[in-house]
Amino acid sequence: MQLAPIEEKADLMIRSVWTSSGGRQIPGNDFNSLLLLACHTADITAAFLTTAGAIVSSAIWGQAPAENQCLFSLVFPLRTSEGLLRGQLIIVDITPKLLTDQQKISLRLIADSLTQTIVLKTRLDRYKGDDSDRKSVTEELDRQKAFYENILNKLPTDIAVFDADHRYLFVNPGAISKEEYRKFIIGKDDYEYAVYRNRDIAVAHSRRAKFLEVKQSGKEIRWEDTLKDPQGNNITHLRRLFPVYDENGELNLVIGFGIDITERKIMEEKQTALVQQLSSRNSQLIDFCSIVSHNLRAPLVNMSMLVNFISENTDPVEQRLLISKLRPVIDNLHDTFNELVESIQIRQDLEIKSEDVCLSDCIRRTMEGLQPEISRLNARIETELQGSGIIHYPPQYLNSIIHNLISNSLKYHFPGRSPLIVVKTECLAEKIILSVRDNGLGIDLVKHRDNFFKIGKVFHRHPNAKGFGLYMTKTQVEAMGGRIWVESVPNEGSIFFIEFVNRSKQAS
Amino acid sequence: MKSIFLIDDDPIFVFLTRKVIDSTNCKFEINEFMDGELALNRLQDICEDPTQLPDVIFLDLSMPVMDGWEFLKEYESLKPKIKKEIALFIVSSSISPQEVERSKNYSSVTDFLIKPLEKDKIVEIMS
Repeated sequence: MQLAPIEEKADLMIRSVWTSSGGRQIPGNDFNSLLLLACHTADITAAFLTTAGAIVSSAIWGQAPAENQCLFSLVFPLRTSEGLLRGQLIIVDITPKLLTDQQKISLRLIADSLTQTIVLKTRLDRYKGDDSDRKSVTEELDRQKAFYENILNKLPTDIAVFDADHRYLFVNPGAISKEEYRKFIIGKDDYEYAVYRNRDIAVAHSRRAKFLEVKQSGKEIRWEDTLKDPQGNNITHLRRLFPVYDENGELNLVIGFGIDITERKIMEEKQTALVQQLSSRNSQLIDFCSIVSHNLRAPLVNMSMLVNFISENTDPVEQRLLISKLRPVIDNLHDTFNELVESIQIRQDLEIKSEDVCLSDCIRRTMEGLQPEISRLNARIETELQGSGIIHYPPQYLNSIIHNLISNSLKYHFPGRSPLIVVKTECLAEKIILSVRDNGLGIDLVKHRDNFFKIGKVFHRHPNAKGFGLYMTKTQVEAMGGRIWVESVPNEGSIFFIEFVNRSKQAS
Repeated sequence: MKSIFLIDDDPIFVFLTRKVIDSTNCKFEINEFMDGELALNRLQDICEDPTQLPDVIFLDLSMPVMDGWEFLKEYESLKPKIKKEIALFIVSSSISPQEVERSKNYSSVTDFLIKPLEKDKIVEIMS
């Protein structure tokens, strides 16, 4: 059997074949075996195959099966010089784009007349005659791999790639900074990693739940995730997890990545606090406007009605009666006006000067001022002051606060019961808590808690109650960063608490 | 004789409104209440007696103890027991549009009047 012409022709043909270094010989050592070559076939034209006539009687051009990822394949029969069909040569183009002219590799088909076999030998560039091209291809691939990995590793986000069973295929240093841990995790899941790192398994549970959500829905999910860093600070990530499918619609990969949005989160929280502050200021303003509209307009209406009656009336006795009614209206208008102006000034006077004020002096002065009322009601005022009670505060605010609370306790005493008022201070680090307890009327907090410190709210039938006092007190306390609250039982008494933020160095 | 409940804590306004009502030369029985709670207690006592129930309620909004809004809430839950058709007018010195809007949430409110109460308006309401 003469094989030489086959060898010669095939060699001639394959010499011009460009192939990747992966061009390989399929097991099989005779004409009947199938030779599958991963080749670049740019030089194989229909015309060339025709010139190979004696060997190649026909070539089937066509689209290759998808799983081989070929552009096309060539199938042609190999025959002996006697025309007997001895096998098929299939040339499959897999990676034409990877190859350049420098990587040209020749294949040689060697026929062995003794064993009647054809051996396909890969020869790295027959014309240059060494292994340098194979090496350079490998190097090029490595270089490209390093290039892309470098990009993924340097991205300031954490990236994790999972297989369809939630096992890690890749993580970048953004996700796991230590290389040792990164190496460990490949091929494992979060449960194994939690055990390895001796971490709470709850994280693995929640990540598995997210993974299954993506797998089942087939859709990307996003969520925010807050964890503590080693310094104990909250770190918030915006995480995204999305599925990647192959051409058959099978889940191939799930890719997750997270961006650190801690700064944005802090900003958002600041904004939310600001919006809340503004909205509370706004509702205070609405209350304020409505009280101004009511409290100033009410006496004006009365005055105008009185003046109308006076001018229409001819009876001097009646006129005198009407004129006598004008005085309390004008007084009321005057008081209301002053109180409104005062409360506006508290809000505007942000630069008000603080001084070191002695709380016990302040309480003593207030008691002196209220002495006639204290004597009239036979009231007893006890003080339990802790430490020196020096507080850094605007003196006029402090006087006004203490005066308001004590005079309220006297004003709303329980009829027939001698008022007992206990003023107490408690000094904590940077805080002083003042409490004023009485045995007076008390207030139904179930009904009134929401309105308690609102302007214009009055809870008892008292001729001088206008609902300004506690509103002012609250304003004066809050303007300096403190807070006020109340506990009360109707008919038993109330305790008002004020927490002052104390910035005094002398505070004890 | 028609009867009026005047619920307002401002004694001068009550005094003046009485004078305006008197000036209509119609005879009305006027009951005064200094706040919503006092008026509500009275209504609870007489709700089944049409002869004692008023024809008209004039209700101020800003009052101690129980203000006009709290009164309205309680009044609406009492209303099924009240055996008389009563016209209820809010009479406020406030000119705030928010309060007018808010009053629309109460079906028992006939109208929102702004102080002062004019003679002609009283005649129109009481006729």
